[in-house]
Amino acid sequence: MKKAEGVIILWWLLFFTLHAEGTSYSLPGKPTLTNCRSPEKETFTCWWEPGSDGGLPTTYHLYYRKESSDAVHECPDYRTAGKNSCFFNKNDTSIWINYNITVVATNARGSTFSDPVEIDVVYIVKPNPPEKVTANVSWNKSWPSLRVSWDPPQKADTRSGWITLIYELRIKLEGEDKWEEHPAGQQKMYNIYSLQSGGTYLVQVRCRPDHGFWSEWSDSTYFKVPDYFPQERSIWIIIMIFSVFIFLILIWAIHMNSHTLKHHILPPVPGPKIKGFDKQLLKSGKSRDAFSSLVGSDFPPTTTNYEDLLVEYLEVYIPEEQGLMLEEGKDLHDGSLKSKSYTSDSDSGRGSCDSHALLVDKSEEEKEVGQKSNQQGGRTEMDLKRPEESPEENILNYSHANVGSPDVSCEKVKTWPSLFSPLTENSSGPLDQPDSPEMAKQHCLSDSLFPPSPLSSPFAPPGHKEVLGSNYQEYSFGNLHPQTGSHQYLRAHGNMNVANIGHKGVPADLQLPPVRSTEYVEVQKVNNENMVLLYRVSSDVEKGCPGRRHTEEYSRLKGVNNDNGLLLLQRMVSEEEMNICPYEDQESSGLTDSGYTTSTAQKSTAYIPPATQVLDERVAGGYVDTSMFTLPIY
Amino acid sequence: MQQNIYCSCSRCPFGALVCAVWVGMVCLVFCSRLSGMKAASICGNAQAECHFLSLANLFDRVIQHSARMHGISNDLHSEFELYFLPSKNQVSRVGRNCHTSNILTPNGKENRFPVTDPELTEVIMKLLAAWRDPLWHFHQSVARNHRFNGYGSNKSLEMSDMAHELRKGVQKVVEKMQTLGVISNSVGGLASPEALLAADGSGWRFMKDSDLLYCFRRDSNKIQNYLKILKCRIVPEHGC
Repeated sequence: MKKAEGVIILWWLLFFTLHAEGTSYSLPGKPTLTNCRSPEKETFTCWWEPGSDGGLPTTYHLYYRKESSDAVHECPDYRTAGKNSCFFNKNDTSIWINYNITVVATNARGSTFSDPVEIDVVYIVKPNPPEKVTANVSWNKSWPSLRVSWDPPQKADTRSGWITLIYELRIKLEGEDKWEEHPAGQQKMYNIYSLQSGGTYLVQVRCRPDHGFWSEWSDSTYFKVPDYFPQERSIWIIIMIFSVFIFLILIWAIHMNSHTLKHHILPPVPGPKIKGFDKQLLKSGKSRDAFSSLVGSDFPPTTTNYEDLLVEYLEVYIPEEQGLMLEEGKDLHDGSLKSKSYTSDSDSGRGSCDSHALLVDKSEEEKEVGQKSNQQGGRTEMDLKRPEESPEENILNYSHANVGSPDVSCEKVKTWPSLFSPLTENSSGPLDQPDSPEMAKQHCLSDSLFPPSPLSSPFAPPGHKEVLGSNYQEYSFGNLHPQTGSHQYLRAHGNMNVANIGHKGVPADLQLPPVRSTEYVEVQKVNNENMVLLYRVSSDVEKGCPGRRHTEEYSRLKGVNNDNGLLLLQRMVSEEEMNICPYEDQESSGLTDSGYTTSTAQKSTAYIPPATQVLDERVAGGYVDTSMFTLPIY
Repeated sequence: MQQNIYCSCSRCPFGALVCAVWVGMVCLVFCSRLSGMKAASICGNAQAECHFLSLANLFDRVIQHSARMHGISNDLHSEFELYFLPSKNQVSRVGRNCHTSNILTPNGKENRFPVTDPELTEVIMKLLAAWRDPLWHFHQSVARNHRFNGYGSNKSLEMSDMAHELRKGVQKVVEKMQTLGVISNSVGGLASPEALLAADGSGWRFMKDSDLLYCFRRDSNKIQNYLKILKCRIVPEHGC
């Protein structure tokens, strides 16, 4: 019996123990309130976390108590917010009042209370994220800018001021990890400027109340910044095209003007100024022509007779009333052939032929020559080149003999009759032209040999040439100035037939005989002292001294005096000569000196006293300075 | 001697005195006029617009001020809890009763009782008036007890001063509203400090400092919120 009872007791123990192990009936675990949140400060929701359920179905209840009252209320809504939640609607929600909330888990075994939580709705506000986030891309001077705008969450009442929201947005390029955050304050739009063109961006916005929690980020809004047409690039393209165009034009211009550019950059070696051989002629085999440049045309004379060359005559026209008028006036130094004033100049670089007095006006074409000679020292001189020229091209020396007007400037040509025949005793004209040995081929014209007017009238047309013979170079002067009325011509005939001019019986009244009676002064030579030796050419008839040539040295040609007289200074008169040919001597002696003015009737005798020495002193150099004085010839 | 008022000042000594006095009076009149004009010169012509704009500006300033005050109180409260209430005995808070609880304040957006603008203004004024003394007292207590560090002491003083300034500011806003005719002049009468103090009583003296801080934190939030509501009702076009 006892054994049976023991077995029964063991069985009961086993049974109980078994039962005890298999069933987990217990009180439910302690739930915990996780959080309570209010989206708009008008309602709120609390969530809890249930504990272990204890093996039994457990129910949860939420109870709350408001501040200042002991009434316990249960959650009005367990479903709206989901499981294990409690939703307090507007009627149940009071702001600025503490809520004491407790969750109770209950199962068959019992109930378990959670820890109470005190909340004030004001401080648990977590709004919804902002809505309607829009992104607008705009262009501001080729730079993109983004304007993001949004609306507050719908439930939050910001318009009445019940809730104040502060916003924040963030943006990033698609594919990147790092966001760029921008606080936006209370405004509902925001501008962003640092954007890449052609990029796709994401932007999000969130908000929070002034004392509360941040909302969740809104959904990403995608926007793409379009590729703006690179206007900047287009400008560069235009500039480049333009520059290329200009570059091409420049190259073309350089190519076209390459020759001149070469000249500018690399100037060619100047050729010889001296005319040398003409290669072409050399090649052609014409030696004569080739060497023609080397040879003066006159030398060696080929066609002329030497005899003819020996004699050169200067044809001088002596007007009846007047003596030889010499035109003056050039200022040699200014190189102008028309200068009126006659200035003395130093005898620089002048040859014997040069003298002021012999300066005569030139025509335009001869001005060049004159200028050439000016270059040579201010004198026009017939150089060797002259003979090359045709007779027409010869320098026409215009002696502008202004009878009455001393101020007349005339073109002057300084041409010298190469040979001057020394003036004989004829006082009338300085232009006694004895035969004179030839000197140079040059012909110098003596202005002084000109008598004014009456003679000139027949020769009124300027430039009139009188061909007195062949092989002479005739220079005729024309008075180009209309003021003067008189044209005087100085004719220098070189290599000429000399027309004898009558002796100086004329000189008394200074009337030049007509043409035929022109006396010629033959230029003998030009000595070193710049003296022109004049030889009077006297007709055979008149000469009482046959063959005898009176060479008289004349110190100077002073030039043209104011009265347009050629001043010739006779340095000395050889008495012997005078003695020999008294008549002639008389005539010759008086000549040189110019003072031949029309007015002077004293020229009857061309006797020049030694007083002329005085004149020599006055004249410096070998120049006859016509401006200085007028030598009376007596 | 003839007293000739037209005589020049240089000639008549008595006339000179009269002239000087007269000139001085004229100057005084002008100066006073100028000073008076200065006050009125800012918004001379379009008074309505000028006042509205200035009212919005005033509201903004007041709201900012109240927000700052609330921030300070929040900081103090959290610091106070950290130092002096390590054990969070939340249950005890339920029993807490602020001395301003008797002031009926709207506790929700759609209130149980409609709150008009004057009423709301009055509530604000009451609140501000109710906290003037307790804040000062609190500061004295904190400074005396040395419980707080220097930061706390400065904050309490600042908080007290800000409450004072805010009250003045709100008074100016009320005055402006009254001049604009937004609210009747009766509001000002109710918001007189004497009446408020009489209604308030001295219940705050028995509160602990922590409770005081807690209550003030709440009330400053209320003030800020009410001001915002008021602003968005009266001048809604600016940031509402």
